[in-house]
Amino acid sequence: MFKAIVSAETLTSTLDSISVLVDECKIHLEEEGLEIRAVDPANVGMVDLSLDAAAFESYEADGGLIGVDLSRLEDIAGMAESGQLIQFELDEETRKLHIQIDGLEYTLALIDPDSIRQEPDIPDLDLPAEVVLEGKDLNRSVTAADMVSDHIALGVDETDEFFYVNAEGDTDDVHLELTRDDLIDLQVGPARSLFSLDYLKDMNKAIPSDTEVTLALGEEFPIKMYFGFAEGDGQVTYMLAPRIQSD
Amino acid sequence: MEFATFADRAAEIEAEPADLETVDHVRALFEESTGEIPEEDGADLERGDDELEIVARYVQGRVFPAWESTTLDIGPSSCYEAIARAAGTNVGPADVEDRLAELGEIGDVAASYEYGGQRGLGAFTGDAGGNALTVREVDETLRDLAAADGSGSADRKIDLLFGLFNQCSNEEARYLARLVLSEMRIGVGEGTVRDAIAAAFEVPTERVERALQVSNDYGRVARVARDEGLEGLDAMDLEVGRPVQAMLAQTGTVTGALEEWEEAAVEWKYDGARVQLHYDPDGIEASNAETRVFSRNMEDVTTALPEVVEFAEETLEVPVILDGEVVAVDGDGSPLPFQEVLKRFRRKHDIAKAREDVTVRPVFFDCLHAEGTDYLESPLTERHDQLVELLAEADEPDSDSLDEIRGLSLLWRTDDPDEIESIDAEALESGHEGIMLKDPNSAYSPGRRGKHWRKRKPDVETLDCVVTGAEWGEGRRATFLGTFELSVRNGDSGDSLETVGKVATGITDEKLADLTELLEPHVQTEEGQRVELEPAVVFEVGYEEIQSSPTYSSGYALRFPRFRSVRHDKDPADADSLERIERIRDE
Repeated sequence: MFKAIVSAETLTSTLDSISVLVDECKIHLEEEGLEIRAVDPANVGMVDLSLDAAAFESYEADGGLIGVDLSRLEDIAGMAESGQLIQFELDEETRKLHIQIDGLEYTLALIDPDSIRQEPDIPDLDLPAEVVLEGKDLNRSVTAADMVSDHIALGVDETDEFFYVNAEGDTDDVHLELTRDDLIDLQVGPARSLFSLDYLKDMNKAIPSDTEVTLALGEEFPIKMYFGFAEGDGQVTYMLAPRIQSD
Repeated sequence: MEFATFADRAAEIEAEPADLETVDHVRALFEESTGEIPEEDGADLERGDDELEIVARYVQGRVFPAWESTTLDIGPSSCYEAIARAAGTNVGPADVEDRLAELGEIGDVAASYEYGGQRGLGAFTGDAGGNALTVREVDETLRDLAAADGSGSADRKIDLLFGLFNQCSNEEARYLARLVLSEMRIGVGEGTVRDAIAAAFEVPTERVERALQVSNDYGRVARVARDEGLEGLDAMDLEVGRPVQAMLAQTGTVTGALEEWEEAAVEWKYDGARVQLHYDPDGIEASNAETRVFSRNMEDVTTALPEVVEFAEETLEVPVILDGEVVAVDGDGSPLPFQEVLKRFRRKHDIAKAREDVTVRPVFFDCLHAEGTDYLESPLTERHDQLVELLAEADEPDSDSLDEIRGLSLLWRTDDPDEIESIDAEALESGHEGIMLKDPNSAYSPGRRGKHWRKRKPDVETLDCVVTGAEWGEGRRATFLGTFELSVRNGDSGDSLETVGKVATGITDEKLADLTELLEPHVQTEEGQRVELEPAVVFEVGYEEIQSSPTYSSGYALRFPRFRSVRHDKDPADADSLERIERIRDE
């Protein structure tokens, strides 16, 4: 059983956070809210999302599992105007999702969850450094790095206590330092890892610029980025495996 | 089997120049790709879980069996991008293309980069042991890649391929890139795989060959040969819905065909495109259709050719596989050129509209399967009888004229060259390409360009002959001159002309009207239907060969002469000479 009403903004944020990594996903319809976990085909980037029942106008579920085509669902969400509510009801018999937006009724065929890539195990990582910054600062770092390179190094300087971004291109380089004053919070620890911008750019797209983002980093370790949405009732965690640093 | 092992073996095969040793390498690879035979109890590995099927396809650079219409649908530029992304810092598709221009081959380019720079998350979850890429993992990923469709699928394909390259060594990358772009080129052809299957699993080559012909699936034949032996191979049959390679023709002459076979089966050669029709009134397995139509390359062209589907569903009542051509016709049913058919084949959208412009009509000349029986091994004449029965039964059961049966290509059996000539003439007059000559007793050999089917050779050479006589036609053609007498110059002076034959073939009614207008002013004498013409007009004439003949004053006759064109630019003095005829004949 699944019946829910949610605002178009909340639904769109949810879907966009996932669709930067995969085209199809499984959605767990738990009593307390939605859970989605997905990993990209190359097993490099992962997303773990939860959306509490409180984020919905109304929410009823009893632990079902559905598979959806994200772009299809995004198209449907795009039919709603800002502020409109979207109503869902799962037909268990036909395995179809009935979606209503104002007068518009849409019946969405679901995908067999078994045909979707297995959900990843979440690595249990001990990441010594933590950086809390505004979405727009992360966005600026990624955009600057992308101008010169296809990779980005993220690290923390333990001595002078700042977070830095390095990007080395064939000809041009980018370097950016954010001190405690520029950051919301900084927990110093040994951290420097190299990441592919192909992935980081996509993840960055889903991070609102006015949101507080926490980055957890280590040495040659994956990065963990988490942020809230839907007024704190939704949480997204991205995890991205590093590239080996050649020098 | 690790993909690295496959890559190593592929490199050994590529380096081997000798055919026999190549077969031996492939045989060894097949044996190596066979998994451990499961213990009697406890083991959950089935033999089908091993990688023989995949390897048997990969050595030929095929990801899917030939009959399957699935493709990876990934272009070179996407492959370059995946390589670039996996290759390291700041390598872009442009670098890959630069190296390709320099090295000339994608395998060398792929092998020239270092991979593995991007780590996977699995390395941090603790469950990743020795995670070497296996052949099966490559295959599963390539199948996912092929299945990706819809918006964003191009990016998803690149992501998947990037993931594979990222796990590759240089040598693995070489063969992965070639496999993805269908450029394996390690010197393994279909014959090599056939011989290797026979050698590895101790079954006769010709039985492997037969199984390959009916199934078009090298992987499956290899597995059946190993697991079920000869009995299994012999039990493999045609399946309605799975295309067979088309039997092909070589060029030949009427004289040659009659010499070898004594009697020839003669069919019109249609200026169309080859199609294979698969029909099952109860629906074709693994598809929700009753009818599927395949092109000569075994591509599914069903949706592009609704006329063929309609024909099948209206005409046929039992499961069949038929071989034929589709021809394009205009509003009056007259054939249109081949290009018009091709336009329809390539059409993916607005088929109803395309159909209004050009209609296609199927004509079938062979029957490979009917009602559960395969006819590949039956003689041509028996297959044709079967075809007549299939099409006649449902069409006009009491029709006593074969040519009233829709969709049937007629077949004549004859040992008389003159009859063949008149069939040829009729075919050309009806706007078709000419005739096919077939050995009436031959079996259907899929994929073979054998001696049993011959396209009548297009004229090798032409002669420019002076028209020295003609005959008034009969009936519909009573007001036209036809059957033109041809002559060549004798000696340099060009004063005397000697006859070499008569041409009545290859001329449409319209053309006859033009020719009559052109020649009538030159009529010197008339005697009954026969007229003598003042030497003035030169014809370009094609022919099959030159024979000695007492009938004509030159002492020679053109065999199967055909009208090609009027040489308005030539006078009789420029026409070909008897000397040239003698020279050609001596060659």
